[in-house]
This record gives sequence, structure tokens and C-alpha cells, in this order.
Amino acid sequence: MKLKGKLLGTAVGVMLAAAPALAQEVQLFHDKGFWSEQLQAVGDAAGEATGVTIVETPYANAEQYKAFVQASIASGETPNMFTWWTGATFAELVSSGQIAALDDLWDEMIANGGYGEASKELFMVDGQAYAVPLLLARWVVLYNKPLYAELGLEEPETWDQLMANADAIVAAGETPFLATVHEGWRGFIWFQELMLRMHPEAYNGLNDGSVAYDGPEVRAVFEAWSDMYAKGYFSDPRSTEEFNDYVRGAGAMYLIGEWAAGLVVEAGVPADDLGVFIMPNAVEGAPAAVIVEGSPLVVSVDGAEDADTMEALRYWVSADGANTWGEQTGNYIGNDSANAPNAIVAEVNSDIAETGAAAYLRWWEAVPPDLQGELVAEMNRFMLDPTMETADDVMSTMQTLNAAYWADQ
Amino acid sequence: MDRAAKDIELLDRIGMDQIARNARARRRGQLGLGLIFMAPALLMVVGVLLVPVLFNIWLSFTKWKKFTGFGEYAGFANYERMPSNPFFNEAFINTAIWVGASVVFPIALGLGMAMFFRNLRGAETFKNIIFIPRILAPTAVGVLWFYVYAPDGLLNRGLGLVSGRDVDIGWLYNDATVTPAIIATFVWQTAGLVMVLLLLGLAAIPKDPIEAAHIDGANRWQIFRYITLPLLMPTLLMVTILSVLAGFTVFDLLWVMGANYPGQRSLALAVFMYFEAFQKGSWAFGSAVAVIIGLVVLCVTWLQTVLQARVDRMTR
Repeated sequence: MKLKGKLLGTAVGVMLAAAPALAQEVQLFHDKGFWSEQLQAVGDAAGEATGVTIVETPYANAEQYKAFVQASIASGETPNMFTWWTGATFAELVSSGQIAALDDLWDEMIANGGYGEASKELFMVDGQAYAVPLLLARWVVLYNKPLYAELGLEEPETWDQLMANADAIVAAGETPFLATVHEGWRGFIWFQELMLRMHPEAYNGLNDGSVAYDGPEVRAVFEAWSDMYAKGYFSDPRSTEEFNDYVRGAGAMYLIGEWAAGLVVEAGVPADDLGVFIMPNAVEGAPAAVIVEGSPLVVSVDGAEDADTMEALRYWVSADGANTWGEQTGNYIGNDSANAPNAIVAEVNSDIAETGAAAYLRWWEAVPPDLQGELVAEMNRFMLDPTMETADDVMSTMQTLNAAYWADQ
Repeated sequence: MDRAAKDIELLDRIGMDQIARNARARRRGQLGLGLIFMAPALLMVVGVLLVPVLFNIWLSFTKWKKFTGFGEYAGFANYERMPSNPFFNEAFINTAIWVGASVVFPIALGLGMAMFFRNLRGAETFKNIIFIPRILAPTAVGVLWFYVYAPDGLLNRGLGLVSGRDVDIGWLYNDATVTPAIIATFVWQTAGLVMVLLLLGLAAIPKDPIEAAHIDGANRWQIFRYITLPLLMPTLLMVTILSVLAGFTVFDLLWVMGANYPGQRSLALAVFMYFEAFQKGSWAFGSAVAVIIGLVVLCVTWLQTVLQARVDRMTR
């Protein structure tokens, strides 16, 4: 009896001790294992500041993660807080009815002066905001400042200047632009940029079925792209080390999300050697524009009812949260009352403020998810054989897939 | 009293009903004990094999795609969609190529090596070396060979040395070379196992008929063709079936080595299934593809049973 009493007492004690700890932890599910430590650093900082610790829970890859979230929602067990993707994939998630609208939180965020309406729009579906930013990365061109200086080049402000710079770099025996098909998803990077710079009026139409993938606008893009390959502007598309290629100086310019800037510096490139510019328009008089990759952080309907989850989310979007995240990863989340994570982000912020560049959602997120993988595979196919003969075949296949998809909607 | 009446009286006297009842109770007890001992294995088979398979079959008749349609009946719609999907058709053809190649090449090579090493002195070291690739994980093999086939990899450099000029073939990037290149890797990994299995089969062949054939003046080819090969048939059949199944279900190598190939989803049915289910979230359609793969594998297994019985009768 004595032993039984002791065991019961111990069990109750353990439960009582554990209860407050369990109540003040919020799990954050994500597929960004490469940021596990950094996410946990923000989670710990949240714990210190608010008493609610965010515990990051990573999944090894995007496919496994999607499977977990889709199965959880389908079975009515939606996680309280998790990351997702913007664009059409995001609209699909919201249509499940399991994601909480966060308009009230956004009202606070905008009223506090940290965030703009433009950031909120990336996370809106049918007039309501359903997420806060985990990441807001503008896609820019990082460039090798010492090489530019050596060749007497200036940061390009027009398309012609950019092409002239590329010619000069080729003439010096260097490679102007890095581009690879590595990992299967990168084929869209130059396609989307050329599309936006050459035919901004058609950019969004690609993703709602109103612009054909074998239409004149896309054809013009493939012709320009093929011509750039013919002139030797691009690196070997079979490279498996694009990032390291840039760090090693194997390419002069690197079209990538600004999140790469911190990684490049971390990999050994002196911060002063790293320059940045937003790709200029190829069409004279076209409004300034920049491609934005947004990564949403969502809470479920149940999560929105949970005070700890909302407390954790409030910390995430606060200036303190943004600063911790920025210091850890160099990532920007759109909070302008926080410090810019690095000089590159500060410069991009300043350029956008100066030009009033409009934000265009990255093609990867904007394209219907059912088409995403198949279309990007075709773009990769072109990059491996960048002739107009292949381009014709690629455009035809892309449009067949695109037309079939929209006919089914 | 007639004989039958006497028997009944005897049974009544010794309590035969009771004996039968006791025997039945003993059998029930043994069955219960047996079930208790078998429970872990039964639970394992039911939990990780039977239930998922049945669940997958059920899913294939639903409309589950991403967040919706879970549990909504779709009839045979997912199966009817398959023939009109160009990637499915390509994947099907490539799988057929894989099955053919995974039977022909490993067996031809394995048999050749088994015959060569069978009576060779000091061949153990070579046999072990040839078997080593089989103990490596397919993913590790895929990564290794990915770099062998890289544009600046070992193969292109070797060809460059031999030809005396730069060789820049993107083995894993071209439609014409990607499947043969990965099949070559598969053969490299599996031929060792096939060789070992065939060596076991060869060791089990009795020496008498071979010696008799020698005495009768048969040459080596005739002995192989008319004695060794027929007696090796049961092992060959087993190896063939294993190879067919390996060809049907190949995934790891294609996933790792074909990662940068634009047509990766069409490299085989298993890869196509993964893309549909995990990348596109078409869980029901992906499940239907898995059911088709499972059905084909079942048919092959059934064929194996039939052929095995026939070969057993022939060699008895």
C-alpha cells in the first residue's frame, strides 16, 4: 500500500511538473530542415520573451511533408502551426476550411508600422489573409563586384546594359550567368525572369490559363533564352554545385532569392565583394517589378483558438522575432521596423522604395500545382538542349499539359 | 447380439465420446497456444502488410486528392485515367524495358561468371569482390554512379583517355542514354548475387551424369547445353522471377540517378506513382498505379509457382 501510494504521488508530481511545460510549447511543423537550428533559435527566443517556446518539427523533404499535412487535414487532425507555400498551392490549402483567417493580426501588424499592405496581399485568398510571412524573398541578381570593377562594368540599369555586361564578361573568358537543372526545380528561374522583363502583361496570364505556353510571348522568351545560350552567357546546366560555383567565382552573376546572400557570405565571399541589383526590364517604359517568393506560416482553425499558438505567432512577426530570424538566417519577413538582416536586403529594400517596384509572385508558387512539376521538367529539358528546335517541342508539350489542365477546371 | 451392437456397447463402456471430446479440447488448446506464439508475426503481417495493402486498394477507388475527396467513392475512374496519361504510358514502356533488361543482363553475366569461377582455384577473392556491390544500399550505389556518369566523371574521363580527346556525354541527362546507364548500374549491383545463387545451383548438380557424358565423348558445350542447363533450371527459374520482381519495383536507383533528368517521372511505374501521389497529391490515382504494379507482381508470382511445379516434375 505504501509503495502504491508513493508511485501514485510520483506520477501526480511528474504530471504537475510537466503540465506547465507542455502547455507553453507550440510545435511548428515545416519541411525546411536546413533551417532547423535557426528556427529553434527563434523558438527559444520566443520562450524567453513570452513564455511560449516554439518547438520546430522538421520533415526531411517537401514530398513527405506535403503527405503529412494533406493526410492530417483529410483526417481532421490539422497541426496547429505549420509552414506552406504561397500561390495556387496556398489557395488549395485554404479551401480545405481548416486554416484560420488572420486579418485581425494583420491589422495589428500594419497598424504597428512594421508591415505593408503589399506583404499581406501575398497571403490573401478571396479577400482574407490566412498566413504571416515565414519568408519574403525578392529574386535579384547577386554579382561579383571585383570582377565588375576589373572589367570596368557598372551595375546595369537597362536590359541593353545587362547584355553588354554579359558580352564583356564572355569576352574576358568568364561565364556571365549561373543556371542549372540540378534537383529538378530550377528550370523556371530564368523563364519567369525573362517573361516578366519581356512581357510583363502576360506574366500573370500564364497562371490562369489566359496565356498559352506556345503563344507569341512565350516564344519570344524562348528565342531570347536560346540566343543567350548561343552567346555563351550561361554555365553548364548539368552543374550540381551552382551555389558553390558562385562562391568559387565560376559565374559573374547569380539570379536567386535574396536569402542566398547570407549563405554566400557565410561560405567565404567577403560581404563587400557581393553586389546586388534587380533585373532591369527589357521593355522600355514597363513599370518597375520584382519577383517575390513568399513562404507562409499558417495556423489551423483550432490553433487560432489556442492562446499559446497565437502568442507564438505574435512573437514571430514582432520586430524581436524578425530580428532573431534575420540574424540567424539573413531572411527578411517584410517587417520594416526590424533591422535589415544584411546589406543586400537593405539595398533591395532601398531600391524597391525608390522605384516602387511592383511585386510579382514567383512562377513556382503561382502556377497551378498540378502543372508545376511537369512544366518545370520541360523547361529543364530546354536548358539541356537550348535550341529552338527543342524549344518548339517544349512549348508544344507545355501547352498540351496546360490546355488539358484548364479544360478540366 | 450382432457385431455392430457389440461395438457400440464396447464404445459406451470405454467412454469414446469423452476421448473424442478430450482430443478436441486438446487441439483447441494447442491452436490457442500456437496463435499466442504466432501473434507477434501475425500482427506484423496484418499491421504492416495486409492492412496497408487493403487500405491502398480502397484508396484507389476514392477521389482523394490533396485535402479533399478522402472516402468519396470514384468507382474505376482512377484506373480509366491511366491509358490517357502520356507519362503513365512512357513509364509502362520503360518498366517493360527494365524487366527485360533486369532478366537478361544479370542472368547472362551471372551465369557466365558462375561457370567461369565454378572450378577455378583461388576464385574466392574474385567472387567476394563481385558480390560486394550487392551489400551496398541502392541509394549509395546511385550516388556513387551518379558521379561516375557526371559530365566530368570517371566514365567520360576514361573515354577521353582512350579516345585521346575530350568526351562530354551527359549520360544521365539524355533520353537515349539515361535508362541504359542506370540499367548498367543495376546489372553491376545485382550480377554478383545472381552469380552466387547460380553457383549454389551448380554445386547441387550431381557429378554422375556429367562424368557419364564425358565418357560418352560429349564436349563442354554439349554437357552445358544438355546436362548442366536443364539441371540448373530450378535455380534459373527462381533467379528469373527475382529479377523480374526487381525490375518491376526498381525505384531507388532511378530516384537518385535520374534526379536531374527532366523525364524522371516516366523512368518507371514506381517513380511515376511516387510523383503522382507525393508530388501532385493525387493519392487515389497514385494508389491505383500501385495496385496495377501489385497485380502484375502477383501474376508473376503465380506464374513462378506454376513453372516451378512444372520444372520440378521435369527434373524429378
